[in-house]
This record gives sequence, structure tokens and C-alpha cells, in this order.
Amino acid sequence: MKKSLEKLLNKPLPADPFLPQKVVITDVEELAPEHKKFTFSFLEPSSCERWNHIPGQFVMLTVPKAGEIPISICSSPTRKGVIELTVRKVGRKTEVLHSLGPGSVVALRGPYGNGFPVGIMENHNVLIIAGGLGIAPLRSLIWYILDRRHLFKEVYLLYGTRNYSSVLYKDELSRLKERKDIKCLYILDRLETPEDEEWSQGREGLITDLIPEVSLEPKETYVAVCGPPIAYKFIGKELLKNGYPESQIFVSLERKMECGIGKCGHCQIGYKFACVDGPVFPLWDTKNLPEMI
Amino acid sequence: MEFHIDRAKVLPKANVWEFLEGLKRRFKLIAPVKEGEKCSFKEISDVTTVELSYTRTVLPPKKYLLPYRRERFSYNPETMEFKTFNSIQEQVIFGVHSCDLHGISILDSIYLKENPDPRYLEVRKKTILIGVSCYPDEYCFCLSTGTAFPDGANWDLFLTDIGADYFVSIGSPKGDEIVLTLKNLFREIEKEDLELYKRSTRKKKEAFNRRELPDLERISQLIELEYDSPVWEEEAKKCLGCGTCTNVCPTCFCYTSVDIPDLEGKEVKRVEFVTSCQYPYYSLVAGGHYFKPTRTSRFRHRYYHKFVGYPYQIEKLGCVGCGRCSSECPAEISIVRTIKKLRGTDEKELREAVK
Repeated sequence: MKKSLEKLLNKPLPADPFLPQKVVITDVEELAPEHKKFTFSFLEPSSCERWNHIPGQFVMLTVPKAGEIPISICSSPTRKGVIELTVRKVGRKTEVLHSLGPGSVVALRGPYGNGFPVGIMENHNVLIIAGGLGIAPLRSLIWYILDRRHLFKEVYLLYGTRNYSSVLYKDELSRLKERKDIKCLYILDRLETPEDEEWSQGREGLITDLIPEVSLEPKETYVAVCGPPIAYKFIGKELLKNGYPESQIFVSLERKMECGIGKCGHCQIGYKFACVDGPVFPLWDTKNLPEMI
Repeated sequence: MEFHIDRAKVLPKANVWEFLEGLKRRFKLIAPVKEGEKCSFKEISDVTTVELSYTRTVLPPKKYLLPYRRERFSYNPETMEFKTFNSIQEQVIFGVHSCDLHGISILDSIYLKENPDPRYLEVRKKTILIGVSCYPDEYCFCLSTGTAFPDGANWDLFLTDIGADYFVSIGSPKGDEIVLTLKNLFREIEKEDLELYKRSTRKKKEAFNRRELPDLERISQLIELEYDSPVWEEEAKKCLGCGTCTNVCPTCFCYTSVDIPDLEGKEVKRVEFVTSCQYPYYSLVAGGHYFKPTRTSRFRHRYYHKFVGYPYQIEKLGCVGCGRCSSECPAEISIVRTIKKLRGTDEKELREAVK
């Protein structure tokens, strides 16, 4: 005990993990009402080269004058040079961010968190389940898998959201539907317009309705889930009912975070920190960690 | 408990003031002083105000390591150039009790093991800790948490009251250096001193009312198994949600950070404030979802973190038995009593059930 603490105190001062790096917004795309995708690149080319992340990780983004927010990365590490974040205008800080355009300088630090276990997903089927804005961190995983397609077996994407106007990455997801190496099933909460009908091919309901339609061998499949907090319980139940092992279902969770590195305490789920032990947890952890989902 | 005779000295009580003067000449001196009924750690200008035999301060000495309001850095919102602050002064915290020394070890583990925080490390490197022995009152339960005596982990000097003198244990090269520079004030240890020292340790152990102490055997498991116990709600009903318990805790570290622009908007400061898991907004995320929506869930969270979370994260209990959360709680909620109720060994309750 004494020895280990002495060691800690005798260490030289580390680089400040709280200091963010400058980035510039190079592009802003309006995906849906209140939802924008921001593209950032580093001002220093060396930082750009050094940047590497795992799908499912997040950054702490400093919005000038407003403060710091945790945002999951929606771009894939297989496409280097830029970082993309999809942000819903939902509070004070995101409102300020939404008012910024290309050329604005902001700052970020990261990447943080564990991300999806892409290594152990290799040589298996992958089932990706996204609800609403949950598609953002999973977009990173989708492109990671598609860019290294030969490493994975069959891939499914289930995506459910409110209506056609709230669908994110419309063009990209339409094009994914055309591809043969990924099966996409889309569903909408309610069909009201012809566009809604066309998008989901007449499917109306909840994302859980799609799970029985997936024709994968559950034991050979890894599942990645991200959605609104309320959805996990239902998705988890349906997956277990269909035979997917709970140790192979990974959920990405949202929590309040102020630091991203296990110091501020806000993101505690049971005895774990969402920022360093998560934000991706196996569904098995729900048994260990009360109030997880 | 490991003391080496050659690493200890004796400080006659008559020399204590001179010792404190000697410290004050070299460092910023922080020590407990009496304020009304209670004591608190303060920067000392007159050493005779230092309170040598207090029971507990309202706030633990952590406020000099992790100030309750602290500035992380400032930045220019146009250019996003960052500026860090450098104003850390060498300080001595004198009169720290064993429980608080253990509390500081816990903070060290949290802040320095993974993703070390350079600001905390710098403050810690520039802080000299001088402990003083103490006797328990009715709120103390450090004998149960195993923190009644300093374990030699992270302090520089430790003064144990042995009657007319202090038995001074030397815990670090820095502590040794302080003794050497003030060596006229100390004398060598004699056989009697060692006997007195051993007796004082025994005396402290005997001063606890054993029947009042909580049983912390496999406490993590107890909290996990009793997660749905009605005790949480019963106790939480009394709770005002004021956050006093976490604010006075020597091991609580949660904070919230806010960016504060100056009036012209030319400079923004990132300021960190101590926060409390007992406040509803602690778990509030964008969009208005509360992950800990009820007072019961927040109340239980504090126990869960102390007795399940810390052991998982740093392999130690997050409670050092200082008794502050119980002695300062305006609703008179006692951590010891909650644990006893969970175990089903609360005497008051048992007596009422028999009636």
C-alpha cells in the first residue's frame, strides 16, 4: 500500500488530460429538424495523424463560452482525417453549437470510453440495432465493418425512428439498402405520409418487431444496440427471447458526464463508470449493475 | 501499523508551539482552529490558535487538495487558446486525524492511479501532512473501517499523544527533513516512551463503545443483496436532499464543471464545483431524463458507491468512519444505523419490535 502510493506521488506531472485540442468545423449538414452532423478537422496535421478511435467511443467537445459535452463519434476510424459528430439540439450547449458554421474553431479531447468490442466481433455475424439518435455511434460501427467486410460474417442493420423526417443519414441509409453485403430493415413508429410508407416499405411499429425477422444463428452473432434509455429493456428482452446470448449483446449507454476520464463521478452505473468502463456494456452487466437500463 | 524506532522522535508538549512556528516560517500552515462550537481547518497566522485535541472538523482537509471551487483553465473563445493556472504553494496540513489521512489515500488512488490529474498531483507533491492522534466520540466508527490508525501510507509525520509528550513517527523523507531542521525541539525515544505509545494505542481501541460499532464484514455483499430493501425508502423519507453528507465526506470527489465567460466575452474560465449525488440534476441528461429520479435512489447511491463502488474501483472501502455525515446531517440520519437496519441488528428497532 505504502509502496504503491509513494510511487504515485513520485511520478512526474503527466500531460494534462483535461486540455482539449483545437479543431475547426469544416462542414455542417442538417440531417433532420434539430439534428446536425458536424465535421471537424485538427488544426495541427500531427494531431490528425495521431487520432484513432474505436467505434462506440466518444469525445468531450468544448463549445466556446457554453461548456463541455460528451458526444459519441459517428465517423469510422477507417476513414481518417476527419471526426464527425451528430448532435441533437436539446439544451443550452447544443443550441450554441448548432449556431456555429464552417470555419468556427472549437476544441475537443478524447477519444474516451471502451467502444464496441470490434476485435471479438470478427468472424461472427453482427446484428446492429439502432433506435432514433442511437444510429449515430452505430454509424461508426457500420462503416468500420463495411470497410473491413471480409473480417465479418453476415451483417444486419435494424433501424427504427419516429417518422421519415426524423430519419438520420437518409441518403446513406438508402444506399445501404441497395448493398448485398448488409441486410437493412427499417421501421417507423407511425406512417402518416407517402414518404413514410416508402421509407419503411409499409412497416409500422417498434424496433422490437424486427428482431424475429432476423435470420442469423444467435449463438454465432454479436449484437450492438444503441437507442433511447427506455428502449433497452424491451430490445434486451426480445433478443433474449430469440436466443441471443446475453454476453454477446452489447449496449451503448448514455449518462451525464463532466470529465470523461473517471474523475467527476456523474456517469456511475452501479459500481462502474460509464466513461471509462463503458459506455458499451454487455447486457449481462444488467444483472450486476442495478439501474443500468 | 509499522513503526521503526529509529524513525521516530519525541516532541515534548511544551515545544509544540515552537514547532508550529518553525513550520509557519517555511510553509503555508494549515491547522484546525476552534470556530464557535466546532473546529475547522484554516490557514494559521497565530499558532496559539491551533486546536491540538479536537474531535472532528466540519469539513475534511480535502478542501486544501481539491478546493470546493477550483479553476481548471481559461481560454479565449475566439482562438481557443488555453491557459492553465500556476499558483500552487507549498503547504503543511497539521493536525490531520488518522481517518482523514486514510481519506486522502483514497483521493490519491482516485486521482492518481488511472488518468492522473496533473493539478491534483502537483498540489499533493507540495503538501506535507502531519497527523495527530485522537479519541473517538459517539459518531466515530473508524475501528470498523480499519482506519483508526495511520497505516504509514501517505503522511510525513504523525504525532501520538503520550501524556506529557508527543511520540512523533516519521513517515517520509520530507518528514525526516522537517525534524532535522528543528531538531533542538525533539528528543530521542526512551523505553518508557514506547510503552506509553503502545498504551495510547490500546486506550484508543478501548475508547470505542463496541456495541455501537457497525459490522462491516462483507459489507459490499450486504448492500448488493439488500438493494431492494424497504430500509432505503424509510431512511430516504427523512432525508432533506441537502447534500451535506457528501460535502463533509473526506472521500467524496464528484464535481461539476461550468464555463464562465467574463463580461466582455474575451476570456472563459472553466470552473469546477463540488457537487453531490444527492441532487436531482446529478444524473440529468440532455432531453430531461433523470437516471436517478427518486430521493431513495439517490440516497441508496451514496451507500452503494461507498461500499460497492470504491472497493471495485480502488480495492478499498470508500468510508473511513469519521462520522461526519452522521454528525452533520440536519435530519439526524446515521450511516451506522442504516447499516444496522439493513443487517437487521438495529437495537432500537429490535427493542421496539419486542414491545
